[in-house]
Formats: sequence, C-alpha cells, structure tokens
Amino acid sequence: MSESVLTLRPFVARVTNRFVWRSPRRAARILFSFAHAEAASQVDLIVAAQLTSSPVRRALYVRHALDETRHAKLFSLRSAELLGKLGLPPLGIVRPDAEDLFERLGEVGFLAFVHRGEQRGRRQFDSYRDHFARRRDERMRALFDAVLVDERRHEEYTGTLLREVAGGERAARRALRAAAAWEAWRTWRRAGRALAGAVYGAAMSVLYVGLAPLLLALRPLLRERRRWVGAERTGAGGRS
Amino acid sequence: MAAVLGISAHYHDAAAALVVDGRIVAAMQEERFSRIKNDPSLPRRAARACLALGNIAAADLDAVVFYENPYAKLERVVVSLAREYPRSFRQFSPALGGQLGSKLWVLDQIADMLGVERRIVRFVEHHESHAACAFLCSPYADAAVLTVDGVGEAATTALWRGEGSSLRCLGAIDFPHSLGLLYAAFTAYLGFEVNEGEYKVMGLAAHGRPRYRDELSRVLRLEADGSFTLEPRFFAHATDTDVGFSPALEALLGPRRPPGRPFDLDSNEDDRRCADVAASLQVATEEALLGLARAARERTGATALCLAGGVALNALANARLAREAGFERVFVPPAAGDAGGALGAALLGSRDLGDPRPAPLATAALGEPFDTGAAVDLARALGLAALPVADASAAAAARIAAGKVVALCRGRFEFGPRALGQRSLLADATRAESRDRLNRVIKQREPFRPFAPSVTAAAAAALFVGAPNDMTPFMTTVCRIDPGRAATLPAVVHVDGTARVQTVTEPSAPDLAPILAALERETGVPVVLNTSLNGAGEPIVAGPVEALAFFLQHPVDALVVGDALIERSPA
Repeated sequence: MSESVLTLRPFVARVTNRFVWRSPRRAARILFSFAHAEAASQVDLIVAAQLTSSPVRRALYVRHALDETRHAKLFSLRSAELLGKLGLPPLGIVRPDAEDLFERLGEVGFLAFVHRGEQRGRRQFDSYRDHFARRRDERMRALFDAVLVDERRHEEYTGTLLREVAGGERAARRALRAAAAWEAWRTWRRAGRALAGAVYGAAMSVLYVGLAPLLLALRPLLRERRRWVGAERTGAGGRS
Repeated sequence: MAAVLGISAHYHDAAAALVVDGRIVAAMQEERFSRIKNDPSLPRRAARACLALGNIAAADLDAVVFYENPYAKLERVVVSLAREYPRSFRQFSPALGGQLGSKLWVLDQIADMLGVERRIVRFVEHHESHAACAFLCSPYADAAVLTVDGVGEAATTALWRGEGSSLRCLGAIDFPHSLGLLYAAFTAYLGFEVNEGEYKVMGLAAHGRPRYRDELSRVLRLEADGSFTLEPRFFAHATDTDVGFSPALEALLGPRRPPGRPFDLDSNEDDRRCADVAASLQVATEEALLGLARAARERTGATALCLAGGVALNALANARLAREAGFERVFVPPAAGDAGGALGAALLGSRDLGDPRPAPLATAALGEPFDTGAAVDLARALGLAALPVADASAAAAARIAAGKVVALCRGRFEFGPRALGQRSLLADATRAESRDRLNRVIKQREPFRPFAPSVTAAAAAALFVGAPNDMTPFMTTVCRIDPGRAATLPAVVHVDGTARVQTVTEPSAPDLAPILAALERETGVPVVLNTSLNGAGEPIVAGPVEALAFFLQHPVDALVVGDALIERSPA
C-alpha cells in the first residue's frame, strides 16, 4: 500500500542535495525547520492520544510523540552546533504549532495523513543519509540514521493501524487518497493565502503612502497622553 | 441566577472560565489541552471542558463575556500607527491585518465556536477584567485595585476602587507608557523570549547588582503623582514589535544578548553585565509599582490592595509592595495575567446579571479532574506497572524523604502559571542536589533559576518572614527565609535569601496538604520543593497522556497518578 504513495519531494531532494547542504548556515536553517516539523508532529500526536478511544492506540501515539520530541531535539542541537562553529547564535527556540488534525480529519484520516508524512520523511531522510555517507560526513549521516530507524517504524505501524481502524486494505487506500486530496487542497489554500497576503501587503503599502497627507495632518492631534488620565477618557470601565 | 462563560483569547494564554449563580465552577487555559505553550487561539477545548464540569450546555448560558473591547483595541492600534507615521511602515500591514482579519470579529467567532446566539456574547474592558479577577476573588470588601500589564485597549495601567461588588476606575495610564512593555523589551534585550522569559529575567536579577539604575532612570521616569513615563526613543513598540526596543537602548546599556547562548555567570563578563541589567530593571519596576501603589493608597484610603495584569506575576515586586506601600494586606490571584481575564470577565457578567459576588478564592485547582482510570490503562498499554497504593500521599512523602523526585498528578489541574500541588514535581527541599538535578537533568533550564517551597501554613511563620499571607497560597509573592533556617532548605532558597513560598492548607491544595503532613511525620520538616510538571517549553501537564509522556521522557523516580504509583525502580 505505502509504495503506491508517490511524492516529488524525495526525488527533488536527491537532485538538489549537493547544493542544498553546501552552506553550513543553510544546513542549520534546514535542520531547524525539521526540528520545527517534528515538534509540531509531536503536538498533533499528543492531542491524538488524548482524543482516541483506544488505550492501545493512545500508547502508540504517545511513543511516537516521544520519538518526534527526540528528533526535534537532535535536529535543533545539530543546527545550533553548525551555527556555533560559524560563531553564530542558535536560531531560537523551537515553537511548535498544530493544526487540530485529529479533530479535523477523524482518526482514520489522521492516520492516513501521518502515514503519508512518515513515508515522505523516510524517503527524504534516506536520500540525505546517502548524500552524507557519500560525502563522508559521519555526524550528519549518523543523525539521519538515528532518525530513520524511527521513521521506518512509524511508517510501518501507522500503515498497520490505518488498515485496522479503516476496516481493511481498500478502505485504507481510500483514506490515503482522501489524505492526499486534503493535503493538495491545503497546499492550494496556503498558496492562495500567500498570494492574498502579498496582494494585501502591497495594497496596504500603497494605502500607507496614500494616507500620508491625512496622517501627517492628524499627527499633532494624536499626541500620546502621559501620566494619569481620567477613567472616562481611557475607555477603562466601558461595556458592550 | 445565571450561567456565564468568560473568554480571553487572541493575544496570549487564552482561557475560559465558568461562573454559575455567582460561584466559580471552572477556569482553564487552552494551552493545557492544545499543548501549545501560551496558546492564544480561541479556547475551544477549555470552554468545552468548563461547560462539561458545570454540567451545562452552551445553549443554557445566559451570557458569554469576552475580556476586552475589540473595537477600542482597533482604535488604539490605528492611532498608534498614525502617531508613529512614517516609522510605522513595517508594522502597518501586519498590525491592521491581525485586527481586521480576525480580532475584530472575535465576538462572532465565539458565538460560532459555542453555537450560541450572538446577542448573548458581549465584552468588558481589558483592565476591568483584570480588576474583577483580582478584587472579586479577593477576601476584601473594600480595596484599592491596580491593574498593570503590557497593554489592553488603550490603558496599560489602571487604578480602581473596589467596594462590595462594584469597581470604579479612578484613572489610568495609556499606551505606550507601560511597565509590561518595558519588562518585555528588556526580556528580549536579555535574549529571552517575550511573554515566556520574564520569569527568567526575575531569577537572573538576584544574581546581579543594580548598577544601571541611573541609565534605567532615563528609560523609565517616575512622576510625583505615582505615574510613570517611558522615554520613547529607547523603544520600538510601533516599529519593531518583535523585540520592542530600539538601538538607543543598546547604545545606553551595551549590546543585546544573543538568544539561546548558555549562561555562564561565573566567568563570562557579558553575562554578569546582563545580570546587572536585570537587577537594575527589577529595581526600576519595583519602584514604579511602589509609586503606583502609594498613589492608590492615597487616592482610595483603602487598607487592602489587589493587583492583577501580567506585571502582577512579578512575585519579587509584590513582596516589596506588601512591605513598603502602606497597605495592611495585599492579594494577587493565581492567574494574574491574561488567562485570569477570562475569569474576571465571567465574574463581571455574573455580577451584571444580578448574581452575588463569589466567596474568596480558596484554591487554584479549577481545571479538569485527573482521570486516574485512563492513566492506569495507558500505563499498562505502555508496559508500565501502575500499582494501586492505599495511601498515595504517604507513598509520595516516603520517596521524597528518600531523596527521590516525584511527579504528582491528582485532582483538578491549576488555573494560572503555577503548579500548586495538583500537577507538580516534588523533591526534598533540604538537599541542594535536588535543585541541581531538577535544573540540569529534568527541567533542563538555566542554572540560576530558583525552585519554590511548599510549606504547611501552620509551619510557614517559623520558616519564612511574613508568611502566611493572602498571596502565599497562590505563590504570587516571595518571602525571606528566617536567617537561622536558610541552611536547612538549600534547594528552595534563592541567592538573595528569598523563596516564592506556597503556604498549604487542605482547602487551598487538597492533594498537597496530606503529602506535607506525611512528610512532617517522616522527617519533621513539612516543606517540599515544588515545581511545575512540564518539560522545557511545554505547558504544564493536564491529563494522563501528558503525565505518562512526561514520565517516559524525563528521569523522575516516581509518578503518582490519583491513587496509583508508577516507579522507575522499586523503592
């Protein structure tokens, strides 16, 4: 089942590895982004563990979440190490975000989504591991080797669970197709949002410049108030 | 008689609180469910959990009250951007985008989230929510109330008179003059994360000398009427909200500290300078708060003071106010920050619908109860032995006395940033190595950060000067340890001789009190090191999943889940 899920990303990774990893600074940024992705995945898995009805699956999600936490730490430490060698500070604290995937997609959809992600990640990391093995960069090869052990296990167990929870191979395939469609829709919406953001940014910049005469004229009237001001002028104490 | 849900969201640390017939039923932060630290998103799951605890359907709510006025907030943002024109170019688009794209419609979003009619969703003002949280939860019938934070709508600081159930605003200080934003800017300057690292600045301050007081007096000017002003050229509130300070501040105090660099206060000169800056900031903040509190005393004549807002989480400053501001009593609620705004909003809604003022807040355990059965099932599924114990408190105390670190999950989780004995990590306060092990191995945080003691209220007076008082049940102040006893509690006394004490009684911390009693029987010392049950950068544990995940991930010796004990190695 899993081999049928094709993505372009691992292929692109194989082609571009040589260029992508050349600069230590860029490598640090990429590793930090992996740390971020792993941390976000950890949050989604913990929430899934909270919400699933099965204690067995809850335990599996907890174990998986702990692996993701460890990966996030490995990636962020290595990122900081690479930057440290350049005399640069780390990129900051890994702040996960989450998408409420379990609640949005249901458990079958969630498992399909995670399975696809693990498969994609495993292929991508495989290509990175091979790249660093060829370059004899033992630290980076060992890093990806360590992560890959878990990624393979995650790919396998999510596939098994998906078949079990969906109710068979055919239903699991259907769920994977639905997850792929949802991901494509999400990518489309993200692209739309990015475009809308760019248009909005440009429009607001024009507006900002256009408002110059008005705002410059108003500015003297908008002086900040200092020291104590009366309650009626602060808005404090107001009500809807 | 009414059921009112209070909501705070869209800035940081979103929360929901339910008040029924004037009684506080539940109050929870969304981060405990979503597992995103200080999660600002609408508190969907927290609201659901509050309603479930109150056994109330959303349709049965009489009012839903949001903790600030979204329209006044938009006005302040627009005015501030206009005032800074053209320097506000970078902030114009994101600031207005955030307001117009989401925050302005928050009342409709809340109605949609809960599936209730829009007409029952309303708002109160930000600082009034804070004031209500502090005063209406306090044990005082009459008090001066100070609310001090980053910024609400326009006000950053407000002075109130609380009498009975009423709150009257006597005056306010407007944005950008803000002690919260001052502290936030210095938090970023010192390399910590804003809205997260303020506690670290406070901990760091004790390691420094306030040798930058003169420089700070140019940044923060204290006025004779108790108010204060910030010198705008040192800040970047409307031009760079990520850090909030300008290059002028670096010119004044030296270069900012890069984020993420490990601290070395013993041999790194620059780190020592940063500690001195932190100490100077702490002194300046305390003096500004003292000015405000003295003005509050003078204008109200009240003998009690209530404090709320993010700045009221500064336990060191609260202790100084209690000592020097001239009030007989001071109260700071456990969730003094924005999360507490949800509770304040609910209390105001309840009061406006004719319900009585609630009884004084006796405990912060207002969250979801711990599901022991689910924890035991999960432990088994994870291959851990969860053994039922006849007396979990005695079992925990025995292990603490033996020098072990025990994670405790019992009862309802706490509302606010402090673990007060429901979701706590406990260790022997009499061993210095407890502190070092917790800091380095378990919590993995900066070595200069202190741990707090929990002590029975009965024994507190003999150990800590000024304890117990109205703040100590909620760990919102510090007390100086009796000089003769400092050596006996090395794990919980900070380098400045203070400790953020929690005084424990059965009503205030129902699950910690029996542990302290058992510890006293075992060792003669009814004190325990108490720190929050969470990993670095994570919200405090709420339910079984996070509790077991924490246990698997961190080298604690034992985990108490309800009446069951899970041990890493048998005692």
